[in-house]
Amino acid sequence: MTTRTQPPARTLAGATPDEVRAECAELFHDDLNPVLRRIGDRPRGAGSRAAPAEDDTDVRASVWATLADMGVLSAALPAHLGGSEQAQRILVEVAELTGPGLYQSLLPDTLLAADLLARDGRHDRLLTEVADGRTTVALALRDRGADEPDAPGALEVDRDHGTVTGSRRFVPFAADADLILAVGAVDGAMHACLVPVDQPGVGVRRQDDLGRGDLYGVSLDRAALAPDGLVRVDRHYASALARARLRHAAYLSGLCRGALDLTVAHLKERVAFGRPLAGMQAPAHRLAALSAENAALLALVRRTARVADSGTDGIVLHAVQAALLANDLARTVSAEAVHLHGALGMTERCDASFFYRRAAVDAPRFGTGTGLRKEAARLLRAAHNADDPGRG
Amino acid sequence: MTVTIREPIPELSADQRSFRADVRALLTRPEVRDELTGLAARPPGDEPVLLETYRLLGERGWLAPSWPVEYGGLGLGAVEAAIVTEEMALAGVPDDVHVLGVDIVGLFLLMEGTEEQKREHLPALAAGERVATVLFTEPGCGSDLSGLATRAEPDGDGWRLYGSKVYNMKSQYGEIALCAARTSDGPVPMHGITLFLLPLRSPGVHVEPVPSMADECFCLVAIDGVRLGPESVVGRVDDGWRLMNDLLQLERTGVDFHGKARRLLDLVVERAARSGRLDDPVYAVRLAELDAKLRASHALAWEMVHDLDRGAADPVASAMSKWYASEQFRPVLDAGMEVGGADALLSRWDEEAGTTARHEADYRMGPAHRLASGTSEVMLYLIATNGLGML
Repeated sequence: MTTRTQPPARTLAGATPDEVRAECAELFHDDLNPVLRRIGDRPRGAGSRAAPAEDDTDVRASVWATLADMGVLSAALPAHLGGSEQAQRILVEVAELTGPGLYQSLLPDTLLAADLLARDGRHDRLLTEVADGRTTVALALRDRGADEPDAPGALEVDRDHGTVTGSRRFVPFAADADLILAVGAVDGAMHACLVPVDQPGVGVRRQDDLGRGDLYGVSLDRAALAPDGLVRVDRHYASALARARLRHAAYLSGLCRGALDLTVAHLKERVAFGRPLAGMQAPAHRLAALSAENAALLALVRRTARVADSGTDGIVLHAVQAALLANDLARTVSAEAVHLHGALGMTERCDASFFYRRAAVDAPRFGTGTGLRKEAARLLRAAHNADDPGRG
Repeated sequence: MTVTIREPIPELSADQRSFRADVRALLTRPEVRDELTGLAARPPGDEPVLLETYRLLGERGWLAPSWPVEYGGLGLGAVEAAIVTEEMALAGVPDDVHVLGVDIVGLFLLMEGTEEQKREHLPALAAGERVATVLFTEPGCGSDLSGLATRAEPDGDGWRLYGSKVYNMKSQYGEIALCAARTSDGPVPMHGITLFLLPLRSPGVHVEPVPSMADECFCLVAIDGVRLGPESVVGRVDDGWRLMNDLLQLERTGVDFHGKARRLLDLVVERAARSGRLDDPVYAVRLAELDAKLRASHALAWEMVHDLDRGAADPVASAMSKWYASEQFRPVLDAGMEVGGADALLSRWDEEAGTTARHEADYRMGPAHRLASGTSEVMLYLIATNGLGML
């Protein structure tokens, strides 16, 4: 049953993307980004029981509360819940700003989960709590590591008892979230299952991964669904995933910007053969080329966000293409950052190594490069065969 | 041949969308398509110059829509100018005469010319009735024009020009050229350069073709004592270096390069669809990735157009856009060779050549895109120095 609720006190309705960017730039400031990059980083081999440092948890909570206070978490909700008509344009700006600090959070999951739940129309109260930052949702999109989010695999739902059984892995921040939204095929149709984390049927185990952050394996063993917690999403999953990919491409573009800035600054300081490395053509041209690629990526992201906000269907191919360019570029730029730092780039004290490890984890979040290419090829064929739909 | 893929430009106003539709409609009219198709049947060396298509665009003010009405334009902005450039590229209209006459010579005259120069040349250029060319590059200097050696020696109240210019286009057909010459010497090589309007059909101007592997030849222009009066100076004496640097950036949005690359890719995709290779993931994935890059290129190029339109052109971002767009030609042309196989090697003069024949000519033209309007290396230099603070 739909419950009408009040929108959050602060919303971004009426705010322009430039205004929101300027405000968020204070939160994700160049001076703070080096600190932010190391938040939640665990020692190598810390294993499944490693919790983040207490200070890190506090900083994370503070940043999250600030985002909620700014209205970022409600931007993509329906208008009566405080959503903005320029939601995607705003959110890609916010996402881009989070990249240089490698900001690890539930932001991408929360926005996609809210997108899926909002279209169901039965979750206004929950969405208000999410927008206020009081309730957090982790998104569970894959079981096997090689699963692509376009086809997350099956879940077993007992409708009589309101439970779900299945396995999901590589779930960001599952231990910190109040709810898990597990997406998968139920009786042959794509559904999202909303599951409270704190219950006997839910097992959460930290995975010790390359990013040394917060990925979790989640086991669901007849876990109780939340009220109205079985949501059929097959009609709008593709478009919601496209919007998530677009925002994630913006984040990866920001990651590239951060890695490039870090590297340029290092090359201006580092002297070799009697002059700064920044004065040598080979590294300068390489960084110039990567900067240009990043500018093109961000232009595509911004344009596609504008199209998404216009309500026009047909951003799915564009978003997949932005995601695949971002996926490639994030890994390339971060690898070049390490290389151009020399052996220093390999060290734990150098942030280049953070960019390198995190890019590998973050880049395929909403699809591997190969999976995105296959999807882009399929969509290109479909667009061609349909004589140019959604274009011009 | 239809262009299958057209980018949305969500930033366009309703009037601009309508303008684009009108330009697109004109370029699909039968007489235009017939003229463009006929170009392919011309013998080697028979270059397109003042096409009827140009006249059709020009009589509507569309060749130079951003110019004031009194000079043959429509008083519109950079967006409308970019729309024309893009639609011409997508339709396959040869654009050398347009780029040289309107985007470069016309722009220089519009921004820096005297009222007499504007009235004498701009209406004819905007109408598509006059060919103007650019004489900057010399046998001894290209990207670095501070090394140019063509001299303008004082002669009464004017000058006499001596020197050689090479790798220019269409000079054999041109009436006037914008010519850079050294008017004074000094310790700084960038100083002392002046721009002149040089009548190409003057005694003392000798134009000789320099065949290239592309369909259209280069020209070598020898200038031997041509006398020019003070009315031939464009801008101020000794101010040529600044003008060349400032104004050449304005043509560098990347829209033209993207449009040509997009047309090439669309043709390749169409051939792949016709041959069934688009259903083969090995081909389809490669083409989808190129499509993604061109989509990004288009978005970036139009950011440059809108920056230009609001008077906020960013030379570094423009260099990025030009570099990114022109770097796509090589992989697109390579993909075309893969999709077409050996058929893609046949020239249009081969009696067995089919629809892939155009690719052979495009492939020969390919390297020019990374050289024109500033080489890729110059673009990277601009980004590295002015953008990143390196070098």
